[in-house]
Amino acid sequence: MKKWGEVALGVVTSMGGFLEVGSIATSIQAGAAFGFQLAWALALGTISLALLMEMTGRLAAVSGRSYVDLLREHMGVRFFLIPLVAVLVPSFMVLVSEIGGVAIGLQMATGIGFQWWAIPIAFFGWLLLWRGTFKMVENGTAILGLTSVVFLVAALLLKPDWSAVGAGLIPSAPDHDKASYWYIAVSILGASISPYLFLFYSSGALEDGWSVEYLNVNRLTAGLGNLFGGGLALTVLLCSAMVFMPRSLEADAYEQISLVLASPLGRGGFSLFLITLCITCFGATVEITLAGAYLVAQGLGWPWSENMKPARDARFAATYTVLIVLAAVPIALGADPLRLTNISMVVSAASLPVTVIPLIVLMNDRRVMTSHSNGWFSNIALVLLALMSLVLFLAAMPLRWFGGA
Amino acid sequence: MNDGLDLRHDVLDAQLVDRHRENIGRCDTVMLELRDGRPPRVAAILIGGAVRDERIGRWMQALRRLVHRGEARSDGVSRIPFAAVQSIGDTIQVDVLRDELPSENVERWLAERVVCHIPGAQRKQEKQKR
Repeated sequence: MKKWGEVALGVVTSMGGFLEVGSIATSIQAGAAFGFQLAWALALGTISLALLMEMTGRLAAVSGRSYVDLLREHMGVRFFLIPLVAVLVPSFMVLVSEIGGVAIGLQMATGIGFQWWAIPIAFFGWLLLWRGTFKMVENGTAILGLTSVVFLVAALLLKPDWSAVGAGLIPSAPDHDKASYWYIAVSILGASISPYLFLFYSSGALEDGWSVEYLNVNRLTAGLGNLFGGGLALTVLLCSAMVFMPRSLEADAYEQISLVLASPLGRGGFSLFLITLCITCFGATVEITLAGAYLVAQGLGWPWSENMKPARDARFAATYTVLIVLAAVPIALGADPLRLTNISMVVSAASLPVTVIPLIVLMNDRRVMTSHSNGWFSNIALVLLALMSLVLFLAAMPLRWFGGA
Repeated sequence: MNDGLDLRHDVLDAQLVDRHRENIGRCDTVMLELRDGRPPRVAAILIGGAVRDERIGRWMQALRRLVHRGEARSDGVSRIPFAAVQSIGDTIQVDVLRDELPSENVERWLAERVVCHIPGAQRKQEKQKR
């Protein structure tokens, strides 16, 4: 029954992995500006991510190889540069935003400017990667990330009108600020369906030694983990809608955002928000750094594993070291973390076609998937996802122009 | 799959592993040997260095020349005789050692000159070997 423990842990991991700087910021902005009306974007993002994680996890469990590994083999080194850059650039921007999230949390907790925190955060992240194993990275951040349950408690205390929440789950057109509405919708989708999440997940399946027997573990982890994770993000949106919207407060600075729990939970709510922000963003910092190194190492065929001594996979270890150090620089120089978060979520959304569309080919390649290739349901879902990714690609930049504050 | 080996599908771009199943890069090209009076045969698998840069494009070759200007070094290409191939499956296992390959020069340099000087580089507990 060891596997049930793994399912539980996996669910907690994906749940903890869901909330990070992007989903917290975009959910709060959505709630503050449009109440419950954008809840559907969160639901759509959650379902999409669950489907992509289930597929990339299945791919890894069946073939014993990561998504990037297979992508590189099918595309050849030259065309692989396209997904490499298209994933690395937005992931790096998100990574900078996550470091910014931790830094802002620490600034509000201590009064010391966020710029000063960037280097120490990067150092601790690096130390965890350098010394820790995959299990430590995975479980440590997941279990600490459970503090995000405070949003659920706060949302329940605020007693939302559940029929209005239900109505928000059905997409509807806004009656004001149309461009801003769709811009936030795209940001939410970008925050939920970050490519680094499913790349990390498929490599993690290999780090944990998954095989065909783990297909049920995979299904449950991807399904339940994201259901709970998306549910938590929804409670962030609910809190924001009930706290900020009636007061027509705009959530355009972290100083305001941090008050989201202060009204339901009092002074302690402020601290709990900061703790949750720091922990979830730190967890995401480490995961994105690792995902970036997986991407490069698997693409180029280097030895890679978070479980190996750095001396045995020197290029892999050097890659994550360089990534996390470089990502600390913009924050140390004083870049605005919230602005960066918003931009990187949109860029992330725009990059999706490059990682989603090739999955259609791989998930139906019987040489790779044997008898576990996609059925009709997964294929219809995947084609719809690919179409959605194209819409996001085309809409992201114009919306950033017209809808970005 | 019983009707022979599809070089383009099964060999090109495949992950290569050494005798100890450690990753040693990907197959960047396959060389044929032309023999008088006899059919050509697959002679070697080439990995990395100048061969890979050539596949990526001119800008990558230019970059390589820039980095290695004035140096009379090897081109960083590992030439693995096809006779060293032990098995071809998801990965291609070849009977060589990672530490002997020119395409692993950067890895060795990083490991010896940089990584090993940082505390903890040797001490991680290796729980599972992939």
